[in-house]
This record gives sequence, C-alpha cells and structure tokens, in this order.
Amino acid sequence: MTDLAPISPFDASPSAVARIARRAPVDWTGIAFLTGLAVVILLPLVVTAVWAFAEVWRFPAIVPQRMGLGYWQETLSRHDVWQALWLSLSITTTVTVISAAICFPAAYAFARLDFPGRNMLFLAFLSVQAFPKFGLIIATATIFLTLHLIGTFWGVVLIQLVGTLLYMIWIPVSAFQGVDRRLEEAARDVGASPMRVFWSITLPQALPTLFAAILITFVNTFYETDAAWLIGLPNVRTMPMVMISFINNALEVQYGAVLFVFLWVPSFLLMLAARRVMGADAFAKGFGG
Amino acid sequence: MIAALRSGAMGGRLSGLLLVALPVALLIWLVLWPVLQAMVGTVYFPGTGFSIASYTYFFTDAYSLRNLWLTLWVTALTSVLRVVVAMPIALYLRFRTGSIAALVQALALFPMFVPSVLVAYAFIRVLGPNGIVDTVLVALHLPKLMSPYLTPAGPIIGLVWDGLPLTLLLLLSGLGRVSIASVDAARDLGAGSWTLFTRIILPRIQSSIIVTLAFNVLGLFSAFTLPFLLGPASPEMMGPYMQRTFSDNADPLNATTQAVITFAFCAAFGLIYVRAIAKGRKGTA
Amino acid sequence: MNRREFLMAGAAAGLVASTRFAAAATRLDMYTASDANISDFFNNVVKPAFEAANPGTELNVVIARPSAALDAVAQRALAALSAKADPQLDFIEQYEPMLPAGGIEAGLWTDFQKADLANYGAVNKLAIQTAYGLPYRGSQVLLAYDATKLPREKAPKTFADLAAWIKANPGQFIYNRPDKGGSGFNFVNRVVHEVSGRDPLKFKVDNFDQATADDVLGKAWAVLNDLAPSLYEKGAYTAGNTASLQLLAQGAVTMIPAWSDQVLQAIAKGVLPENTGLVQLGDLALCGGFSQAVVPTNAAHRDAALKLADFMLTQEMQTAVIEKLGGFPGVDWSNLPKALHDKYADVIPSSIPTFPSGEWTKAVQDGWYRNVAPNISRT
Repeated sequence: MTDLAPISPFDASPSAVARIARRAPVDWTGIAFLTGLAVVILLPLVVTAVWAFAEVWRFPAIVPQRMGLGYWQETLSRHDVWQALWLSLSITTTVTVISAAICFPAAYAFARLDFPGRNMLFLAFLSVQAFPKFGLIIATATIFLTLHLIGTFWGVVLIQLVGTLLYMIWIPVSAFQGVDRRLEEAARDVGASPMRVFWSITLPQALPTLFAAILITFVNTFYETDAAWLIGLPNVRTMPMVMISFINNALEVQYGAVLFVFLWVPSFLLMLAARRVMGADAFAKGFGG
Repeated sequence: MIAALRSGAMGGRLSGLLLVALPVALLIWLVLWPVLQAMVGTVYFPGTGFSIASYTYFFTDAYSLRNLWLTLWVTALTSVLRVVVAMPIALYLRFRTGSIAALVQALALFPMFVPSVLVAYAFIRVLGPNGIVDTVLVALHLPKLMSPYLTPAGPIIGLVWDGLPLTLLLLLSGLGRVSIASVDAARDLGAGSWTLFTRIILPRIQSSIIVTLAFNVLGLFSAFTLPFLLGPASPEMMGPYMQRTFSDNADPLNATTQAVITFAFCAAFGLIYVRAIAKGRKGTA
Repeated sequence: MNRREFLMAGAAAGLVASTRFAAAATRLDMYTASDANISDFFNNVVKPAFEAANPGTELNVVIARPSAALDAVAQRALAALSAKADPQLDFIEQYEPMLPAGGIEAGLWTDFQKADLANYGAVNKLAIQTAYGLPYRGSQVLLAYDATKLPREKAPKTFADLAAWIKANPGQFIYNRPDKGGSGFNFVNRVVHEVSGRDPLKFKVDNFDQATADDVLGKAWAVLNDLAPSLYEKGAYTAGNTASLQLLAQGAVTMIPAWSDQVLQAIAKGVLPENTGLVQLGDLALCGGFSQAVVPTNAAHRDAALKLADFMLTQEMQTAVIEKLGGFPGVDWSNLPKALHDKYADVIPSSIPTFPSGEWTKAVQDGWYRNVAPNISRT
C-alpha cells in the first residue's frame, strides 16, 4: 500500500469516478438499497404521515375511515408552534456555532498536541453523556439559579452547549487523527508554511467529519428536551418541547404526526445538502486540493 | 491554529492547554463538579461517615443484576446490528455518486429527525398488534404477525432504526478518508472486494469504527424512551430502571448508585477509545 | 422583580417573545403535566374566571409534559429553596408532594392546613392524603371493554367474575405497569383489596408496616401471577394509561382498566368507538384518585398561588370540574348545590375508595416489578 500513499485521498480524480460509473451503467445496488430503505424507513413515516390526515382510522381498514385537515388547522393555527420553531432554530444555531468555535480547536489539540493531563481530560468529556441527567438536576439548577439564568434564552444555550461537548470533541478528534501525516510532512518538506499545511492538507481531509459532527450536533440540539425543560421553563418553549407535550400521553397521535410532517420538508432539504458536503467527492472538488 | 502548529513542533504543552481550556472549563463547572458531588453522595453520608452499602445491595440484588445484564446484551447486540446494517450502505455511498445515492443517503439519515417518542408511536402503528402490517396481512388473508411490541425484540428494532443515522454518518465520515484512487489502484492489481475491505478500507477507518461503537454504547446505556415504551415490563434496561428508582421509589441514593455503575461501564468503553487514539498518535508521530 | 429584568436583558430581543408577559402586574406560573383536557380546562375555564376575580393577576398555564419535565421543575424548586432564589414556579395543578425526596422535610411545599384557605374546610376528608397536597378534582378507574366482542349484559360485575373472564378469554385483557399510570396501578390495588377483605380503610398513609405488607402483597402477587398467563401476550404490560387505550382502540384486546374521565374523552373524540362499554365492579369499586395541587413555600407569588388554590375550591370551580371536566369534586358533596348532586347521582358515586400514597404505593409498585413482571412465559 505504501506506493499508493502519495496519491492524495481528497483529489478523487473525476476519471476514477467516471470509470466506476462506466463499469455500472445501472446502479442496481443503489436501487436495492433504496427499495430496502423505502420499506424500512419510509413505511413507518408514511403511516405516521397518513395519521396526520386521519380523523378516524381503526383496524382492519387499510385507509382511514375518515380523513380531514382538522388537526392541521388546530395545530398550525396555534401561535406558540411558530414561535417555538423560530426560537428552536435560534437556540440551535447559536449553540452549534459557539460549540464549533470552542470545540474544534480543542479537538485539534487533543488529536495532535501533547500536554499534561491530555488523556484524562479527553476521557472526562465522556461524563457529558454517560452520567444520567437526573443525578445532576439539583446541582445544575443551583448553578443556574444563582446566575439568574433560569427561564432565559442564554440559560438554555449554555446548558445545551455543555451537552454538545462530547460529540463536538470526540468526533473531530477522530478526524484530525485520521489525517494522513505523511502528506503534511511532505508539504512541509517542500516549504509550505504551517498555516498553508493546515488549510490545504489537514482541514480538507478532516472537513467531512467536522460536518458530520456539526450536523449531529445541530439535530441533537434541536431535539434536546431534558435540559431545556429544566432550565427553559416557564419562559422558553422550544419546538420539541411543544411537540412532546402534544405527543406524550395524548390520546390522539395526530397532533404529533402533524408537527412531524411539518418538520419533514426542512429536514429532507438539510439531508440533501449534507450529501453535498459529506458524501462522495463534490466537497473535495470544491476545495480543489 | 497557527500558533498551535508552530508550538506543536516545540512540544505545544501550553498552547495545547490553552486550546482546550474553554470546553474543559465548561465541563468541570457544569458536569464534572456535579458528577463528583453525586458520586461522593453515594458513599459518604454527613454525620455517619463512609458506607458502600448501596453498591453491595446492587451487586447482591438479583433483580438489579438481571437489569444490568439485559442492558449489556441489548447494548452489544444493538451496536453490532447497527454497524452491520450501516456498513454496506456507507460503502455504497462512499464509492457511488448520482441521484440514487443522494436519495439513499437522505433516506438512511432520516431517522435522525424523528424524535424517539414518535419512533415508538410509528412502531406501534406499523409492527404493533393490528398495526399496518397486520392490516395488510389480514387483507391478503395471511396470518397476523407475531408482534414484537412489548417483547425484548421491540426496543432492539426501535433502537437500531433510531441509531442508524449516527452510525452511518460516523462510518461515512471515516470512509471519506479512504481515497477512491487507492481502492481503484488495488482493484486494478487484482484485489477482490473482501480483500479490499479488510486490507485497505478497514485499517483506515478503524478510529471511526471505535468512535461509532463508543457512541453507541453511551447512547444505549442511557436509552430510555424506546425500551420503556416498546419493551417488556421486566427485566428493565438501566435507563428506565434508574428513572423508576429515582422518581417512583423516591430513592435518589440507589438511583445515583445505579447511575455511577452505568457510568463506570461507559467509562471503561471510553478508555478503549482513548487508548486507540493514543496508539494512533504514537504510530504516526 | 429582578429576575424579570434580567430576563429582558438576557434574552436576545424578540427571541423570547413570552417576555412580553412581564408587563402584567403579577404573573402566576401554574404548571401542569396532566393530559390535554386538563390544560385546556385551565386555559379556557379557570384562567378567565380567576383573572376576572383577581384583577392585575395573570394566570400563566405552563404545560410540562411528560411528567419527567415536571419532576425537573420540582427539583429546581428544591434547589431554589436552599439557594434562596426564585423557583419560577408558583403552583402545580397535580403533583405528588412526597417528591422530590426530602422536599417536605426541607419545607418545600405549603402546608394547606395552616394556609388559612377560606374553603379548605369544605374539602372531602377522605380525599386528603397529606396536608401538603390539595385535592381539588378526582377521577375513578373502571373497566372499559369492546361491546362488539363482549355483550354488555355479560360484563363482569365482581372481581371474581373479572378474574374468571380473563382466564376464559386469554390474551384479551391488559393493564399497564402500576407506576406508569393510575389505571393499571388501581387494578393492582383492587387485587390488594380483594385479598385483604375488601376494606380500603385498612391501608392508610401512616400505617405501613413491613410484616403486613409482606403477607398481603404476597397474596396479591399470587393472584396476579395466576392471571398473568391469560393476559395479552401471556403477561405483557403496557407503559401507560394511553398505551392501554390504544390497544383497546386497535382491537388488540377486549378489556382494560381505564380512568373514567380519560375513557369518556376518548369516546367523545372518536379515538374509541361509540360502542365501548364501561363497567364498575359492584362488590368493591376500583380505586379512584384525587389530583393534589401543591404550592412551593418559596414561590415568588405564593399569596396569589394560595388565592388560586382557594379559588379552585369555590362552588363555581367545583361545579366546572364536574360539568366541564367530567371529574369528581374535591369538596364534599354537601357543599355543592343539591340540584347538581341529583343530576349526577347515578353517574358519580358519592364515595370513592382510594389507595394511600407514600410507603404503600412504593411497596406495591416496586414489589410488582420484582414479583409479577418477570414471570412471563413466552412458550
């Protein structure tokens, strides 16, 4: 394999892609995957979506006995749903941006630099996810109470920011770890400055993983409720808080189904966008090596 | 970053500490300190002194041990299933472009946007008793499905479904570092698919696989909603068990003890990841 | 009011739109984790009436479902008590005052007996479990069944009938885990009553004793384990009241225990079909329960919260509980108009057996997990 090393992994040559494409004009594997996923992923979602329009649907009917837009009207005419959506997007964006700003440099340090307590500190981030929240409620609440952050936008941002630390450090560390060091050394040998090495060798290789971390963080933060309940109530009500209070222990599945379908479209677009940066080679080409 | 790189050459002790300072400070202030307080609270009691009675109770209580055991095997099985399901999709997505691949990816990542409560509802409506699968089977005059709802298989199916996107994303981002050119070159030299996978792809995504497993273990150990809504009443997974001990039994001491024990298991797995990272660093340094 | 100011300054402008409420003189933060019918009741019935009676006070109904969210808020109030901070919580419409652990000892909840509520004397004595919770509405568990599969005249009238029916119709009955919802819990409690001589008064908040518990509960587990193989999936238990109702709605089971108000609402909304039968056991009714409202002692608007508590006990609100909510009153029937009593006499029993919270409840719930839940045969 050593003889292959000099080939930069990110300049997946268009010819290579074309060669694969030529070999398989019809993407049978893709169609097989698509069919499988359609059944496994889409079927439950479609059933949920149909519920959003169903007013009465009882076994053994294949389609609902009575359909209507009643639940849609009732849900979407609520002022708080729109307010919550906007609030959620603001909080989530703020958290993700701050988290990336403080965590990515830290992840780089953990992956590349040597400093006292490195392994210990790195391992310690585990406690963000591994220790159940209920044991920490009183202590956390006390801290936020003394700072007068209960029920505020920034209080929720702070508590959710802490929740992102693990993903935003551990995932990028594996990215910086996986960067081919020989390429960096080669670039440095031919006289590239450290900054140029970072921008044109290290970052492009790590970027797909960094995007994965950002995407995971964004979505997880958007749907996070445990911390948001504790710190946000009674003033801050995010979208999933509204959703869960509709869904949980509600006799009608419809409210939840409506809100869920309502969030479908933006999610699907986000997914397709993610493909551009994370998926095959579109991204690498964009950066041009 | 520039400073980091420069001093990286000189040892980087100080700049390393500076770069990690902010997240570490947040961590100590809002997580480590409260966690430490909680842990100490399970062994030290003001006025009476030290006692490990709650730990002794846990490890001698057959019911608690059965719950721990269930959590361990559900975690192991679910993690393996997730990787086994996600890996072929990830490989396909890495080496294919085009609109079908884009759709496959969008679909496979979709469960990420579905909150667990809704997964449970969808599950009940589809695979549950007299759900849509039963409805279709009955319409075709076939016997009804043995519903996995409220059986041990219920939460596992739900968890695999729910966790597929995270696993896929992490594997895919790891595969991003495997160059198509190197795979192509090896194939031109006559390497078969299996050889390609084990010799060229696997070694490059090792750290991604380990981080995937680590996150799976973390998430599964504290999984609450799906085991609770879809699984049998007993044995319980640690997530619902801790919650029940804490609020229904109003027993924070034993609940925190259970939390510390789960935490220890997760930390053990975390250690494997940290060691892998340390090894990788030495290997390339 | 310094937290309100802070809130205004701290939140990015326009992001926390609800801060505009800060304009009201007093905003009473009332929390509920109950189902939608209760939060609707507070928004549509209680709020306008209370605000009209108390000008300058605004009732802010905060929905905190699931109950874990409410637990977090109660814990936060306990933390606020020792930090001497504002818990941002004035009133919880229904909460177990025994929680959070150590709360009562720390003085978290207001003692209603000493709170000088004008209407406290009217409260139904049997409904009072503790001085820290104010019972203002009640409901009862009964059996709901699919009348297309079980003719109304054949519905069980005694516990023995019920047990016989369950065994004769394997797979057609399910109850939820007792800690996850009152319908399953009170079914289990009915078994406890059955094996201890059908006298609900034997169990009181303060008379728990381990020896009696071992004896009585041991017998109850035997009865439940005997029924288990005849339950849905040979001993499966749903995760809550709603999950049981859904199995009934899907036609997967024929009979479940259910809360009266919830099942009536489900029928009204079309979740359950019109031909759902309801029956109460005649030898001893299934238990009911009363919602306990609590007020933290450190609430920023404790006086207004106590006014609300008192207001909930007025004839006007108690009548609304019966007529608008389909619940039972928290006050004694003697304090309500005779005409109302006569109108509902057939539907609502004047006394409801209850099961004490605290030690007995814990013993039943945890004991059930350890002794009944694991005995499942999948063969």
